[in-house]
Amino acid sequence: MKKLLLKTAIFCFAALLLFLLILSQADGHTDPFYIRFTSPKQTHLMIGTSRAAQGLQPSVFDSILNIKAYNYAFTVAHSPYGETYLNSIKQKLKETTSNGLFIVTVDPWSISSKLEKPNDAEQFRELDLCVGKTPFVNHKPNFIYLIRNLSGEYYKIFLQPKSATFLHDNGWLEVSVSMDSLKTMARTNAKVEDYRKNLLPYYKYSSLRFDYLQQTIEFLNQHGKVYLVRMPIHPDIMAIENELMADFTSKMEELAPMTEGYFDMTASNNQYQYVDGNHLFKDSGKIVSRKIAEWIKSIR
Amino acid sequence: MLFNSIDFALFLPIVFLLYWYVVNNSLKAQNLLIVAASYVFYGWWDWRFLGLILFSTLVDFSVGKKLKTEDKPGRRKALLYTSIFVNLGFLGFFKYYNFFLDNFVSAFSFFGAEIQVNSLNIILPVGISFYTFQTLSYTIDVYKKKLEATEDFIAFSAFVSFFPQLVAGPIERATQLLPQFYSKRSFNYTKAVDGLRQILWGLFKKIVIADNCAVFANDFFNNSADYSGSTLALGALFFTFQIYGDFSGYSDIAIGTSRLFGFNLMQNFNFPYFSRDMAEFWRRWHISLSTWFRDYLYIPLGGSRGGTWMRVRNTFAIFIVSGFWHGANWTFIVWGTLNAVYFLPLLLTKRNRNHLDVVAKGRLLPSIKELFSILLTFALSVFAWIFFRAENMAHAFDYIAEICSSSLLTTPDFPARWKALMTIALIGIFIMIEWLGREGQYAIEKIGLKWRAHYRWTFYLSLALLVLLFSGSKQEFIYFQF
Repeated sequence: MKKLLLKTAIFCFAALLLFLLILSQADGHTDPFYIRFTSPKQTHLMIGTSRAAQGLQPSVFDSILNIKAYNYAFTVAHSPYGETYLNSIKQKLKETTSNGLFIVTVDPWSISSKLEKPNDAEQFRELDLCVGKTPFVNHKPNFIYLIRNLSGEYYKIFLQPKSATFLHDNGWLEVSVSMDSLKTMARTNAKVEDYRKNLLPYYKYSSLRFDYLQQTIEFLNQHGKVYLVRMPIHPDIMAIENELMADFTSKMEELAPMTEGYFDMTASNNQYQYVDGNHLFKDSGKIVSRKIAEWIKSIR
Repeated sequence: MLFNSIDFALFLPIVFLLYWYVVNNSLKAQNLLIVAASYVFYGWWDWRFLGLILFSTLVDFSVGKKLKTEDKPGRRKALLYTSIFVNLGFLGFFKYYNFFLDNFVSAFSFFGAEIQVNSLNIILPVGISFYTFQTLSYTIDVYKKKLEATEDFIAFSAFVSFFPQLVAGPIERATQLLPQFYSKRSFNYTKAVDGLRQILWGLFKKIVIADNCAVFANDFFNNSADYSGSTLALGALFFTFQIYGDFSGYSDIAIGTSRLFGFNLMQNFNFPYFSRDMAEFWRRWHISLSTWFRDYLYIPLGGSRGGTWMRVRNTFAIFIVSGFWHGANWTFIVWGTLNAVYFLPLLLTKRNRNHLDVVAKGRLLPSIKELFSILLTFALSVFAWIFFRAENMAHAFDYIAEICSSSLLTTPDFPARWKALMTIALIGIFIMIEWLGREGQYAIEKIGLKWRAHYRWTFYLSLALLVLLFSGSKQEFIYFQF
């Protein structure tokens, strides 16, 4: 009996050790979020949805503003403004930060809910996604994240086809897709159709999310300066957003006095390239990042 | 409690240690622990189900005791019918009530009479078809005087609720399992290691093969209107391996777990996809159910005695009942009937017992003829599984129609093709291991036994690692619903 228990224990230990060893190899190719939960606590954060995740390149901010910026934006499903995202930001921010720089990106979707009752916080879908399911956001390797979010698909850590996305150590999600005009147009048309059919009819403004956006700004103000930014988007998506929330700009102007300023970049929507209408192509992202950094530099 | 869950991974060692270290000196205490553990295991789904199993245990135990002292044939028959009525009554109510009601209403509608009835929102207790048949075997065997009725209520309760095989079999015969509760088990190292090896193989089948196949099978069957014939044909193949990996994987874990506690359960799957004809397939697939129907339905109906018509009738009877046992849906009945149709030519030409041995025994590869027979039998079973998996008959026919269309000749097109290729590669490895181990009770029973320890450990660790890397998708075992 003792022999069996000993051998079984050794076997289980060896299997678990190998398993954890494989898990610890997870990197920016594993999924579009993991790396953000593995870096240490940060001083300067960029927050928002996937537009910010793909569009804001921390290295550009580093060189212009001489800081070490970190992109802590996810997607409209994972990180709309709310208690879940605010708690995660609190975890990610170094408590002693007093002169941080925070770029808070906003769009109508990030203060809306895809719910019949848009303020029903118990039904917010981010609760069941990685931002809500990962209590520790600064561990490397982050086994809790991997076990809760990658279950059934751990093989992806070492067995992945060539992925179009790569999550950099500074949190920037690089997307490398063909920008051939026909393919880009097809992706944009599909995205516009998706937004019009599957999002616009179901999304509603959430005063609770707006309230959490305010709370997020208030919290970040305690640790440094907050800059409110609306990222550029394809004009067709812009038209849908105007239908969703015609008074979005006035809502943001209401918040602007709490921040260092509000930079609405949608006036220059036509100047940039988008991979799918919603997300900036990386070359355009670099330009947008530089413009935001220079704007910050000018008002700092 | 699922075998592939953290709950069970904690539950099993606790029960194992209590069993061999705390209550190992007393047979009664060992049996009592098994009953308690089994009730915890079963109640983990829904504690309300425990009432059913307890009631079924009480009825069959009491009927058995009465049968022991009762000599009058009429009264003995009445006692037997009481047990059958109670057990099949539960099964009928929980599993078939709404099916009969719906068909009753449809039949009246067909003749122009609209009737209003309310179907009930009935929760099907997990594994009811399995333990109902197991307890019935006890009463029937006591009635037939093949088995002496037990006086030991604890042993009988442990027999009915024995947690490794409670919810998805193997459906044990009372004559085989009940006596094992009468004698104290003593720890046997070789048997326990063998049990662990079989559990590992069962987990591999379930988590690595079945759960990966399930992703595609579920997608293709649930959205069959969106896919081409070639994709749907691939979906049927994925389901074929899903159901085998899922169900035989469960049986392996059940048998392996039982061996850890000193019990021997019957083999439930004997490499059915290497069968050379459908008769052989049915001797190798879900053996505990097939033999149950053979012993308690086919033989009482007359079996192979009598004329050709009698044999055909009895064969169709067990296949149709077997189909219906799987669920209250016409698809299962058609699946059973189709298998009877496959079986019929073999029966009529008296070739249904041609292949009783292991295919290509002692050889590495099968002959061309054997390979052809295996592939043909496999193709027939894949076709039948479409009915088994379809939501209803219209869905099954639409699915088959698309497979038979010109789109069968197109390249399968669906999301996550890369993952599908990986799954096909895993299936390839799986088939290879099963082929190499086809002369054992389960594939890895003998593989590696003569290897050096570090090679053997590497092999087992590789399997365990694959299990861990694919774990967590939380796909339920298909047969829990039956």
